[in-house]
Amino acid sequence: MEREVLEAELVLPTHMKFKKIQMYDKYPKGQARGRHWKHLKQIIQAENYENYPPHLPTYVNIETPPSMHPGKKICDITGFEAPYFDPRTKLRYANTEVFKTIRSLPNDYVQRYLALRNAAVVLR
Amino acid sequence: MPFISKIQRQSDYSSFNSSCPIVIDNGASYFRIGWAGENDPRVIFRNIVQRPRHKTTGETVTVVGDHNPMLLKYFDCTRSGPRSAFESNVVYQFEIMEYILDFGFDRLGADQSQIDHPILITECACNPVQSRGKMAELLFESYGVPSVAFGVDAAFSYKYNQQLGICNDTGLAISSGFTTSHVIPFINGEPIYEACCRTNVGGYHVTDYLKQLLSLKYPHHISKLTWEKVEELKMEHCYIAADYASEVQLFQRGDEEAEEKTRCWQLPWTPSPVEEPPSEEEIARKAALKEKQSQRLREMAEAKRSSKINELENELKGLEFLLDELKDTEDDEILSFLASRGYTSKREVESAFAKVTQSLRKAKGEQVPSEEKVDASAAEKYYLIDIPDDELSAEQLKEKRRQVFLKSTTEARQRAKQKRLEEELEKEKEKKLEEQKRLENPELYLEQLRAKYKELSEKLEQRKRLKTNGNHANGNNNVSGGVGRGERLNAAQRERMRLLTTAAFDRGKGEDTFGQRDEDWQLYKLMSRDNDDDDDDKPDSDEAELARISSRLQEIDPTFFPGSESGASASEAPRFRPLTKEDFQIILGVERFRCPEVLFNPNFIGIDQSGLDEMVGVSLRRLPNWAQGLEDKMTTSILVTGGSCLYPGMAERLEAGIRMIRPCGTPIKVVRATDPIMDAWRGASAYAAAMQFPQQTFSRMDYYEKGEDWLRRYKFRYTI
Repeated sequence: MEREVLEAELVLPTHMKFKKIQMYDKYPKGQARGRHWKHLKQIIQAENYENYPPHLPTYVNIETPPSMHPGKKICDITGFEAPYFDPRTKLRYANTEVFKTIRSLPNDYVQRYLALRNAAVVLR
Repeated sequence: MPFISKIQRQSDYSSFNSSCPIVIDNGASYFRIGWAGENDPRVIFRNIVQRPRHKTTGETVTVVGDHNPMLLKYFDCTRSGPRSAFESNVVYQFEIMEYILDFGFDRLGADQSQIDHPILITECACNPVQSRGKMAELLFESYGVPSVAFGVDAAFSYKYNQQLGICNDTGLAISSGFTTSHVIPFINGEPIYEACCRTNVGGYHVTDYLKQLLSLKYPHHISKLTWEKVEELKMEHCYIAADYASEVQLFQRGDEEAEEKTRCWQLPWTPSPVEEPPSEEEIARKAALKEKQSQRLREMAEAKRSSKINELENELKGLEFLLDELKDTEDDEILSFLASRGYTSKREVESAFAKVTQSLRKAKGEQVPSEEKVDASAAEKYYLIDIPDDELSAEQLKEKRRQVFLKSTTEARQRAKQKRLEEELEKEKEKKLEEQKRLENPELYLEQLRAKYKELSEKLEQRKRLKTNGNHANGNNNVSGGVGRGERLNAAQRERMRLLTTAAFDRGKGEDTFGQRDEDWQLYKLMSRDNDDDDDDKPDSDEAELARISSRLQEIDPTFFPGSESGASASEAPRFRPLTKEDFQIILGVERFRCPEVLFNPNFIGIDQSGLDEMVGVSLRRLPNWAQGLEDKMTTSILVTGGSCLYPGMAERLEAGIRMIRPCGTPIKVVRATDPIMDAWRGASAYAAAMQFPQQTFSRMDYYEKGEDWLRRYKFRYTI
């Protein structure tokens, strides 16, 4: 290790004096390959929230519902208000200039713009 | 104030009594750890872990938090980026969490065999019990912590500001964090989780949105747009528009005001050095070098030629000698003699001799006498032609047919030769005529020639365009290629498709008169696939003419360059211009308020939930029955806290938004927390320092005896 790295104590030591179980004892083979933790979705599923009385606040039921107002439509490129919609690229646009640019956009850029508002075509 | 990190190791760990709690604000973006009762956390770092590989030794190491990026050059970070223990605002990867806690305690100066202090750690509102239990387990098992308490950061922040007199004991906390935003109502100082609500939008989404937008707008500077840099831009320049629609119209009109609001980030840029034309010496030197090389090539060719001549001469001599010898040998010995030399007959030797002589002549560059001597004996050669068939035998008939064929081909050849000669003469004449014209009026001639060249080249260009694609017409000449949605066919192909489709569907309508006119049958010719290339001979002649004219022009006009005059059509190829300062600027206009707007309109980034202002309404509607009637009291004490409420204009926008959803005349007061980022830790620190704090904690024994269900309902009182 280089001196400056050591001086900055950049690297976390493997042995910690204050720990009762060291990292290397817990994971003797180093970082376990693959997934050995539950993702949030699985955590929520394991909680079985549907068995709870409905008035009890849970991680799931405190989520905000969708908005009551119609969503604002903005131009995907410029952020202006977008009265138009291009059926070919599925992008919203504000005026003719933007329309020109979106028609000349390569397809992956179109998809990236769509992905920004979670509207891209996802191939599985 | 971007990225404040404090990672100096503390030295006074042992001076704290073991009853003094350690307070941890475990936020999704920052980890803050310090001692209860103090005003500021001791150690602050980004809540991320990287596991890069050391470049020279190859070992994988763990790096927690953000460090001087210069030091990371010794590590190979390509295989694993920074990782967080959080998904949304819930801790789910406890291995990473353990590294972070290791680092936190280490920098706090822990040096005893275990962490012998009670711990107060923050979690999200309504944390799933699995995450809470794992965290408690980790603290108890790995660190030997005697007791633990969990609290919600927004609540601590509210309590802290309440103590400072900024908000009342009944009110609302709007907390916008890194990955989520919460609205939590408080009644008599206690949070009402039944009525709280969460939208999964936070500072992370704002930065990500800005980063994506900028990298789509400036694909060439993508390497400059790192996460850290974009976060810095966000903190420095983003603001919340009082009204998005009117603000954006300002920019759409391109007013002066909009120009004032536009920010520009100049990337480091140095003008490229102007290339000087090569000096005379340089040119002379290059010419000399070229001359030298060609000289060498010529020498090599000469050497090769002479060696070939030598070789052939030797062979010739050998054959001559052989022939001489043959003359001397007896007739009956000839065969055996020849066989010993590798020949079968004398004839063969003679033919080889003739061949070698000829090739020798060729190599020496002498004229090879043409073999085609016009036979005077044509009549003799084709003696059978004039005799009628019935006077001939079968054999002779065959011979006659051969002769006829031979005669006709030779004649045709001669005719073609004659024609070529005539054409050449014609051309010569034309040339002479032209030359004459030129001499008469050189300027006019040049002008005419140029006009003709232009006309022809345009014609050809047009043809080419029609043939390849119609894409140029709609300005769709994109560089990436392969897009042209729907415009893949060229004009001829399109026409063909049209014909085919009309032929296929034009049935049974009226009388079928197809075929009555001769032109109808031309249709099939158009339909057939190979009609594409049958007009090829014409452009060919045009092309030849063009080439001739351009070469002629080059001869007599020194200013002429082929291709340069075809004008606009040729200039469609990408032109290179020197890069200017403007190419290295990143302009922030609408983005400045478009990105933070996602907090109010999460549908901008495809999240179907209400924004901050509507959340207040949702939260008030969710209040339990016994708390009805407190709404007005609550709206007079709205506290905004969390890192994402630092944008200028936040409080004003929230007030306007809440006014829209509340009845007319409702008193509304929105205040910002004294320090939206630190207040949660400070509130927790003050709370942990209180006398009654130990009653709110639970120990390892409690945890194992009371079980999961108890932990699920675990909720501590904020008013003690």
